[in-house]
Amino acid sequence: MKDLKEISTRLEIAKKKIKKTNESSGRSNAASLGKALKISTELVAAVVVGSTMGFLLDTWFGTKPLLIICFFFMGAAAGIINVFRAAKKMH
Amino acid sequence: MNLNPMHQFEVFKIGPEISLGDINLSFTNASLFMTISSVLILFLLFFGTKKKELVPSKIQLITEMSYTFVAKMMNDTAGSGAKSFFPFIFTLFMFVLFCNMVGMLPYSFTVTSHIIVTFTLAAVVFLGVTVVGFAKHGIKYLELFVPKGVPMALLPLIIIIEIISYLSRPVSLSVRLFANMMAGHTMMKVFGGFVISLGLLGGWLPLGFSVALTGLEILVAFLQAYVFAILTCIYLNDALNLHH
Repeated sequence: MKDLKEISTRLEIAKKKIKKTNESSGRSNAASLGKALKISTELVAAVVVGSTMGFLLDTWFGTKPLLIICFFFMGAAAGIINVFRAAKKMH
Repeated sequence: MNLNPMHQFEVFKIGPEISLGDINLSFTNASLFMTISSVLILFLLFFGTKKKELVPSKIQLITEMSYTFVAKMMNDTAGSGAKSFFPFIFTLFMFVLFCNMVGMLPYSFTVTSHIIVTFTLAAVVFLGVTVVGFAKHGIKYLELFVPKGVPMALLPLIIIIEIISYLSRPVSLSVRLFANMMAGHTMMKVFGGFVISLGLLGGWLPLGFSVALTGLEILVAFLQAYVFAILTCIYLNDALNLHH
């Protein structure tokens, strides 16, 4: 019984050590550069998707150019939200 | 000598034309280099796991490092709940990485510099994540589009914005990879063209740039594969654990 207890405490300590090294090495240079590259396209993509949606809906309902204007601005808003969220995740 | 920097992105048929109804299924240089990348991955994993030694050989070390790299990345971003998706993420990461790296070799073709390839990969990820989300949470998955604490008057606007934001995921995922690879390879070819056209007198400066750009491009090739995989993990995490 005593042996088992000793082993379990040693295991616990080892696990904590692993966790510590995992946390400290998590923020490498490559990871932060990847995040920087990620944000740049985030904004553009949402504007493109929003405008495309507006254009398609316009051709369906025949309301040119009302919806494409609305959806362009909503796409821009979505892009800003995307960037905001991506930046928030970095902490 | 062909100095056109866009010439390297040309897709052409290899062998006979195969068509299935209206669909053109001919084997192209793009298919050839995708096959080469896949075969290289298979070889690496096969020979890397053949002899399991306690002190690993170089090839075993590469295999084990790629495994731990992806496993750690998944653990950090998607949590332990996503463990069952490891094969998918690993395949995706290795495929994009090898396509990018094979594209760095002279006279080769960069598959990932074509938006149709990257968009197909991104669409698979997007549809897969959506299916996983609906399978796990049912109709409650739609709550993803309704953030908490929004006044009722603003709700319709916010929902449309959230849907646009959700639909922009595959676009940003594919455009990022495609644009980075295409821009990098075009730039390398442009500087390579300068070396030829400026000749022995002025060609040394662009030659130096070419060398530096090659190093940068190898970094970008790795980084874009990493970003593609990590974003898939993040989307998977959103689908598995429903919260913002």
